[in-house]
Amino acid sequence: MLDSMLEQLLPGFLEEAQEICQGLTRDLMELEKGPAQGPHFDDFARGLHTLKGSAATLALDGLADFAHRMEDAVLPLRGSEKPVPSPLADALLRSIDLWMAHLRARVAGLEPPALLPGLALLASLQGGALPATEPAKGKAPGPAPPEPEAEAQPADEDSWRVSTRQVIGLLHEVERLREVRLRIDERRRDLARALTALEALGKTRLLAETAEARAVLLGLGRALKADAEETADVIASMEEQLRAISSVPVRTVLDPLRRAVRDLCRSSGKRAALNVVGAEVSLDRRVLEQLRGPLVHLVRNAVDHGLELPEVREAAGKHREGALTIRIEQQGNMLFVEVSDDGAGIDLRRLAEVALERAVATEGELAAMGPAQLHQLIFRPGFSTRSEVSEVSGRGVGLDVVRNQVQALRGHVEVQSVPGQGTRFLLTLPAELGSSPVLVVRCGEHQLGLPMMAVESSRLARPADLRIGRALVQVVHREQLVAVQDLGAVMGLRQAEPPWDGQPLLILNWQGRRLALAVDEVLGDRDLVIRPLPREVRDQPAWQGAATLARGELMLILRPDWLVNPERRGAAGVGGSRRALVVDDSLTARASHRTTLEAGGYVVHTASSGAQALEQLRHTTYDVMVCDIGMEEMDGFKLAATVRQQAASDAMPILLVSARASDADRQRGAAAGGDGFLTKTECVSGRLLSEVSAVISRRKERA
Amino acid sequence: MSPPPTADEALPAEIAALLERRAERVRARPASTVEDPVLWVAEFPVGELTCALPLQALRAAVPLKSVTPVPLSPPHVIGILRYQGQILTALSLASLLGGLGWREDPAVLLVVDSGFGLLALDCERIPKPLALPLSLVEAARGNAVGAGAEITLPDLRQVLLLDLRRLMDRRTGKEPRDA
Repeated sequence: MLDSMLEQLLPGFLEEAQEICQGLTRDLMELEKGPAQGPHFDDFARGLHTLKGSAATLALDGLADFAHRMEDAVLPLRGSEKPVPSPLADALLRSIDLWMAHLRARVAGLEPPALLPGLALLASLQGGALPATEPAKGKAPGPAPPEPEAEAQPADEDSWRVSTRQVIGLLHEVERLREVRLRIDERRRDLARALTALEALGKTRLLAETAEARAVLLGLGRALKADAEETADVIASMEEQLRAISSVPVRTVLDPLRRAVRDLCRSSGKRAALNVVGAEVSLDRRVLEQLRGPLVHLVRNAVDHGLELPEVREAAGKHREGALTIRIEQQGNMLFVEVSDDGAGIDLRRLAEVALERAVATEGELAAMGPAQLHQLIFRPGFSTRSEVSEVSGRGVGLDVVRNQVQALRGHVEVQSVPGQGTRFLLTLPAELGSSPVLVVRCGEHQLGLPMMAVESSRLARPADLRIGRALVQVVHREQLVAVQDLGAVMGLRQAEPPWDGQPLLILNWQGRRLALAVDEVLGDRDLVIRPLPREVRDQPAWQGAATLARGELMLILRPDWLVNPERRGAAGVGGSRRALVVDDSLTARASHRTTLEAGGYVVHTASSGAQALEQLRHTTYDVMVCDIGMEEMDGFKLAATVRQQAASDAMPILLVSARASDADRQRGAAAGGDGFLTKTECVSGRLLSEVSAVISRRKERA
Repeated sequence: MSPPPTADEALPAEIAALLERRAERVRARPASTVEDPVLWVAEFPVGELTCALPLQALRAAVPLKSVTPVPLSPPHVIGILRYQGQILTALSLASLLGGLGWREDPAVLLVVDSGFGLLALDCERIPKPLALPLSLVEAARGNAVGAGAEITLPDLRQVLLLDLRRLMDRRTGKEPRDA
């Protein structure tokens, strides 16, 4: 008999299972036509695994076992060039129907159809025997599921049945409305600036027209303020009501996991305590429903792969009982879910061995991978370090499902592991409602946001407070030494150097780690809606997301945990030993040159204008500068001539690049101090690299 | 007062001859009454190369502006931009194709459906529509390696018909997905 908490979860699971079974049916029908491999096979295997895991979590042991038997019947075919035989597909489809019929009956409180005949059929298939004959018309072999209930319950008079799609539509509209309100605030700030300028004009020339315009603008400002306040009230009210409709407490998903941990421990002989932090948080129902699967996988994985047996733990000086922790935290409109254990951690050597065995990576590729990249292998489809298949794991189905489901929620998943100390999975997801306070800073030409909750304080750098070592700069802050990092350097935009007198320092404090971040300018704080980045850049660990500013432009938001954690930042900005500066006002030209030069072993810094390049050259020396001729304000000729006049860079090799193939430009470039000239059409990778080497050699010969 | 010239009288002789030749071509019976099926593509240059994308994948051509660069991203990523309320990634096609040269700095972004969502690719100019004989396309796809299928047109021009999935998979180091 299920306990009351699990009973409450069954309707939600029924909905999820219905969707999965529809997908399984679709995939199976495709596999009947084509080879038993590829995405359809992977999806089919994942679907069965999710059904098994979720059923086990809800203590539906019969259904979990049944799903396991279905896996047994179909997984041996993985990789086959032949289609799934029709009799097998027929039997599997019948089994899926029976599985759903059983679940439907359980949810409805009816007597469920017996699974035993289905199990017998699956057992016979496992032995290689297939149903001997094609099913008679209208009747397939195996148990016949009962007809689904046709009648829906009559609607409650006090409630309406509203589709999820409609509620989601409303959530999106509220999100848009919030952005509009933020834009009104920006307009008010613009208006205040215009008024200040007008006041300054009025002081010098007191004109009646100026006074009149000022009065009109003041009135407009007051009206905008009132509109902004009313809009804020409406948004707050809508958000509250929508939240009530669309949210459920996290504990509805987390509590059943305790049972799952207990059962897994009993079957494996391990001991574990599950700690949940943030169970009282209420979250979007859809997010939570879709998080259920990943959480089940991660917790089962933590027990099965992470935690050691009690005697092993004791021998390693640990408590006999392992600690599993799930922490859920919503910060602004971002949701962080952490699943950690204090087990053995990920065995990198074993990981590499399995990657080789399964041809996931070559020996050379593995040798070039750092721990963080090796950890990413566990998210590959079909990857498992288990040599034996158990009820829990070993089939190579699991963490890729976690990643896919988190990505479907526009989030991303990271893993950190320390051998002997444990493993931590961090899921970052966008929440539909709410905005986040963000501190906006400038670094070079970039405007970037930092979540305010990571910023403890700000101050200016003073030489007397700085302690400059060979590899580390520190600042004395409130009688403590705090490491200083230049934001431009950690983002690979420029060479690190100690802060200048008066440079703004932001003291970040995140998860117990502190860092003084040197930025070029602090522009102020804003309340912004942080959106996830698109999939092509979502896995960049430096970025939490992007927010839309008043004029529609996007601003990147930094991840505080990436900033404060030097191990996570890893090799940012580290590459070859040679440095190149690319100066071009075209984003695509900078991207293209960077691609080629990085492939040639250069660390590449970029500048979008002559002025910015000169600023870079003040702080950093480069082995070569690749510079566009046709830039606005300061063209390439002028920049080259200016560089040649400066003692620090007068010997730097310069390659000029132009969209036009003109002899006059070549001659002018040489006269300005260029060592080589290429047209952009000639900038194919091999030619650019050879010309860069040539200008470096020419400059050396001259020296 | 002289009468106004007729249409034939008003045209110089060489223009009249040219128009007559064109008219003859139009009047001539087509070689085949059955039209070959074609694939409509958007054709555009990337340096010395002529590339094409199936027209059905193309959603819009927008000016290359308001793109926010993303530091630390792979070099083929130009940045991110807003398009109809979504955040899209803008990618450099020259970089994706492995470091090609280009004639003019791209000023246009093509918003395309990659099969996994929208993304933007830079482009030197607004693409032109072009009909490719389907028989040529299929033959070229059969022999395709890399980012697309190389098609030789009847006028001997070469067109690289891009396969966006393959192009993206090559950059991310993934196995090519099934078509």
